[in-house]
Amino acid sequence: MSGDTVKVGIMFSLTGSYAAIGAAMRAGADLAIAELNARPDSNLRLESVFADPKGDAAAYADVARRLLTDRGLTHVIGCYTSSSRKEVLPVFEKHDALLWYPSHYEGFESSENVVYTGAAPNQHVLPLASYLLHNHGGRGWFVGSNYVWAWENNRILRETMLAEGGEVLGERYFPVGDTDLEDVVRQIVEDRPDFIFTTLIGESGYQFCRLLRAEAERMGIDQAARMPVASCSLSEAELPHLGAAADGHLSSSVYFSTIETAENARFSALWRERYAHLGNPCADAEATYIAVRLLAGAIERAGDTSFHAVREAVRGLKLDAPQGPVTVDADNLHCAMRPRIGRSRQDGTFDVVFAAQSVAAPDPYLVWSGAEAPDAQSTPHHLKVIR
Amino acid sequence: MTRIKTNFRGLRALVLHGEGATTDRLAGILQRLGLIVLFHDPAETEAAALPECDLVLFDADEEIEASVLDRLAATLPMIALIGNEAPSRLARVVRFRCNSHILKPIRSMGVYSALLLATNGHEQHLQTCREIESFRQRLAGRRTVTKAVLKQMTLCGIDEDTAYEELRRRAMELRVPIETAARMTLDPSDTESLPSPCRRPRKA
Repeated sequence: MSGDTVKVGIMFSLTGSYAAIGAAMRAGADLAIAELNARPDSNLRLESVFADPKGDAAAYADVARRLLTDRGLTHVIGCYTSSSRKEVLPVFEKHDALLWYPSHYEGFESSENVVYTGAAPNQHVLPLASYLLHNHGGRGWFVGSNYVWAWENNRILRETMLAEGGEVLGERYFPVGDTDLEDVVRQIVEDRPDFIFTTLIGESGYQFCRLLRAEAERMGIDQAARMPVASCSLSEAELPHLGAAADGHLSSSVYFSTIETAENARFSALWRERYAHLGNPCADAEATYIAVRLLAGAIERAGDTSFHAVREAVRGLKLDAPQGPVTVDADNLHCAMRPRIGRSRQDGTFDVVFAAQSVAAPDPYLVWSGAEAPDAQSTPHHLKVIR
Repeated sequence: MTRIKTNFRGLRALVLHGEGATTDRLAGILQRLGLIVLFHDPAETEAAALPECDLVLFDADEEIEASVLDRLAATLPMIALIGNEAPSRLARVVRFRCNSHILKPIRSMGVYSALLLATNGHEQHLQTCREIESFRQRLAGRRTVTKAVLKQMTLCGIDEDTAYEELRRRAMELRVPIETAARMTLDPSDTESLPSPCRRPRKA
């Protein structure tokens, strides 16, 4: 394999409603490839083969199939939304190929054909639930884009909140890309929740934050302080799209551009040199950068580029990433990472307001972190709880 | 909506399937989901030899002793591992009242759904059984209640509604089901089912 060039598929949407994130993720991959190829002490060269499904979930399977069959690739770094990942999974299984999925997601999946380099729900949803309960209160309003990312995150947060005596004042879903949100914003401001949990993605999310801030100001309410927007996806790539409403939002993530590590200083400097026009580096860009670095590390460890060899080699692989140490879990191919919560600033970055004491092992099915182990679901169905 | 079971940590899964890739794969996935996996060769399903468990995954392609599966299905969630879609095989899956199934070859996707559907489906089944049992008891007591109402009507010269109301009030005072109160109306010496403080000494 020495001296060989390995072709790697890079599959992100550069148009469509979540194009801003797609561009940042592609940049993260390109940055890692350039950096790896410049290493004097390694013969491994990566060559990217880019494909753009243009934000259409149904197009993803076809784009992936072409990468695996026409181009003969085995490794593809790609997908942002869960719907697109679900579309391509059967294609990767059929062709014995590995998808390197570089985004945080809602969990409840553990495919043998995917390496997950973004946060699992125990690494971002659960820490956010606990932070909100302790710092802002238990009365939440949930608003999201109408697909599995929103449904499942809302379920996890709702059940955690209710178990702690919290309350969900309202829950509404909108089609991906919908920006007709005036009514729900008015309703939310009228209900005065302790926080608003949003799983709106792309344009819908940006418009929501702008409208909410404007409506709160009209009512004389300091929205950022009194009813902050909390999310598991808002990132540096999106803050420039929020305009004057960019500050004061909470985001739960394993990476923020303001994290102080030597690796992050190096990574951010490189990023600003090349991709300043995309804003500051964000979690999904960093996860993509990590995915490429792990792929290269696994190929080098295996001395082989085949699906089975690389998948075995990536188990337990460690990396000193911009966010800090990252380890691929040998069992579920997700990564152990450190949960953090940031509050956005007008300059397009986040202040880290909470960081877990150590890395959290990935728990995609919430087997070990869930509040409701079988022994905790104790009231037998035929008995009624009298309050 | 009643909250469903979503976490299966610590449950003991009994796998009745021959050794090989299917069993290994299944065991790996079940362990990742926090279950304790117990194996048993389906060819040796002597009743006494089966370990205690919380749910059963069995090979639907093999001819596992029906009496053993019947006994397990009476109290436990059952998941069929299906590789062959021949109706004779699937008939067994129906007979053993499987709450869900997993198709072979086993993929990582599908196992969690099967666990969730099996455990929650079994819970619903038990609930239905309890309801049927309670209806059955009430149905059996129906004739006694009618007789007691008729007795009160003739004895006290009251209408049916008032007689029933009297009976119901008496049952509530004694904190017993209306069927028990009816039995006592028909035979005042029958105080067997009363809570002990209310029970009168039986006649010698």
